[in-house]
Amino acid sequence: MDTEYIVEMRGICKRFSGVQALNNVDLQLRRGEIMGLVGDNGAGKSTLMKILSGAYLADEGEIYIDGQKAHIHNPQDAFNLGVGMIYQDLALFNNLDVARNIFIGRELTRGPFKLLMDKKRMYKRAEEVIRDFRVDIKSPKMNVARMSGGQRQMVACARAIAFQSKVLIMDEPTAALGVTEANKLLGLIRNLKDVGLSILLITQRIPDILSIADRVFVLKGGQRQDIMEVSKVCLDDVVEMIVRGKDRGGNQTPEVEYKSFG
Amino acid sequence: MNLKQPSLSVREKISKIDLSDFRKYTVMFVLVVLMALFSLTSEYFLTWRNLTNIIMQNTYFIIVAVGLSFVMIGGGIDLSVGYQMSLVGVITAMMMVVNHFPVWLAVLLGILLGMVLGLINGLIVSSIRVFPLIATLATSIVFQGISYLISRANTFRDYPSEFLLLARGKLLGIPYDVVLTIIIAILASFVYYETVFGFRLIALGGNEEASRLAGINTRRMKIALYTICGFFTAIATMVMISKANTTNSSFGPGTEFIALTAAIVGGVSFMGGEGNIPSLVAGVLLLAVLGNGMQLAGWGTYAQFIVRGVILLGAVAFDEYQRNAKKQVKMKA
Repeated sequence: MDTEYIVEMRGICKRFSGVQALNNVDLQLRRGEIMGLVGDNGAGKSTLMKILSGAYLADEGEIYIDGQKAHIHNPQDAFNLGVGMIYQDLALFNNLDVARNIFIGRELTRGPFKLLMDKKRMYKRAEEVIRDFRVDIKSPKMNVARMSGGQRQMVACARAIAFQSKVLIMDEPTAALGVTEANKLLGLIRNLKDVGLSILLITQRIPDILSIADRVFVLKGGQRQDIMEVSKVCLDDVVEMIVRGKDRGGNQTPEVEYKSFG
Repeated sequence: MNLKQPSLSVREKISKIDLSDFRKYTVMFVLVVLMALFSLTSEYFLTWRNLTNIIMQNTYFIIVAVGLSFVMIGGGIDLSVGYQMSLVGVITAMMMVVNHFPVWLAVLLGILLGMVLGLINGLIVSSIRVFPLIATLATSIVFQGISYLISRANTFRDYPSEFLLLARGKLLGIPYDVVLTIIIAILASFVYYETVFGFRLIALGGNEEASRLAGINTRRMKIALYTICGFFTAIATMVMISKANTTNSSFGPGTEFIALTAAIVGGVSFMGGEGNIPSLVAGVLLLAVLGNGMQLAGWGTYAQFIVRGVILLGAVAFDEYQRNAKKQVKMKA
């Protein structure tokens, strides 16, 4: 179905042992856009994205991918719908090499009942992914345990995009990187947008958002505050929205009634 | 990435060498050195008869260690394998000797029982989320109780001749149990290196949460690993009681310690995610050669306990040391 939005999350609620992490949150991601997700620690950014990636189940709410209602019960469901996520801790396997990290859970198989690994094809494909995205990794046989933070980030990125994902979620991708590596990664994110991926980018670095995102989505206390076109706001506007919220009520979390927007 | 290399301490230099490979060959090297040493202390040690005896006496330890390796590489541990052997052994023996079941049926039911015991461990570990060390320690006590309740502390001996063939029959001059052990070792190696299941279990042991996020059903995997361990433990039990032509509830306990030590000495990481079958087999044989050599040198049984304990401690310490060194280098990078 050809809709304006590739992802729509409606009325998402999530509680963790008595704490309301998300309260009736709506999010719409346009095709081919980069949307920044910002908010203080505990605002609910990662929780919202983990619901979209299948790591958490929402208590209430609906998700639509490509206009179709999606039933995401686990990460495999999300992956099958074309949603890939790079987690803040990268969720890499230090005991495996690059190719195996890329293909874990989506192994290329051969033989009866697809029980056997097609290692030759996996290493070849991993090499192609590394080359296509100009990732700074010498060989798919390198062990990730011995890589720098930037290289590990690239492996996580390669894993998320190696399977024709439509939507890529990145949770604080530049948080552990130096300036040079962070800039390289931001360049890679732009390239991914150019090839048609829709990207949700969680970050505390507002300037990163302002330099590459199309829109910015602000969460506070588990509630959606506002969604702003990056071209129409400055750093102070975003910071004020994060700190004071939609009603400019300081640290008090306002009762926001958003059912839809656009 | 042209990052300036920081100066490395001795610990970090060690970690720069891939010690998992180093250890893989170390255990084999140590095995050869030990054999050379014992051949100097006893002229009988390096005889064909003694060496084949060492292998034949340890086939069931190898099979248990292979089963345990599935659980350990997957990030768990099973301390109950000894009492699983006790329970499976007495029930299989009773089916053959007391109830006069056909051998094939008794063996089949015995193996199924082993798988059920493994399944129970898997369900407890994955569903109740109890730490595997404690969970399997608890189930081992339960299995012990059930074994003694059922056997009433009796001994069951004199099995049908078809069953004794397992330990006494030969194929091209090689005992059946040795052939069986070789097949199991090759099969397990194949599973680890060639199958999707083997790949995923190594990943599970490396990072359980990342496995879940990669879409792997970690709960189902864990249950499968403990069930596989139960399956191999039951096969090892058949070999053990067939060799002895007798069993009671005290047959089996203690095996878990030898299998665990052999696995760790053979490079299976106590924390999961690493290990291979050739080194595991070398680990079992290393302990066996040590025991045999010390016996022939007149050191007796008690000294062997001390040496085995020290070896286990050393292997675990080495594993932990290597892990910490890797972490430190990664933090510096």
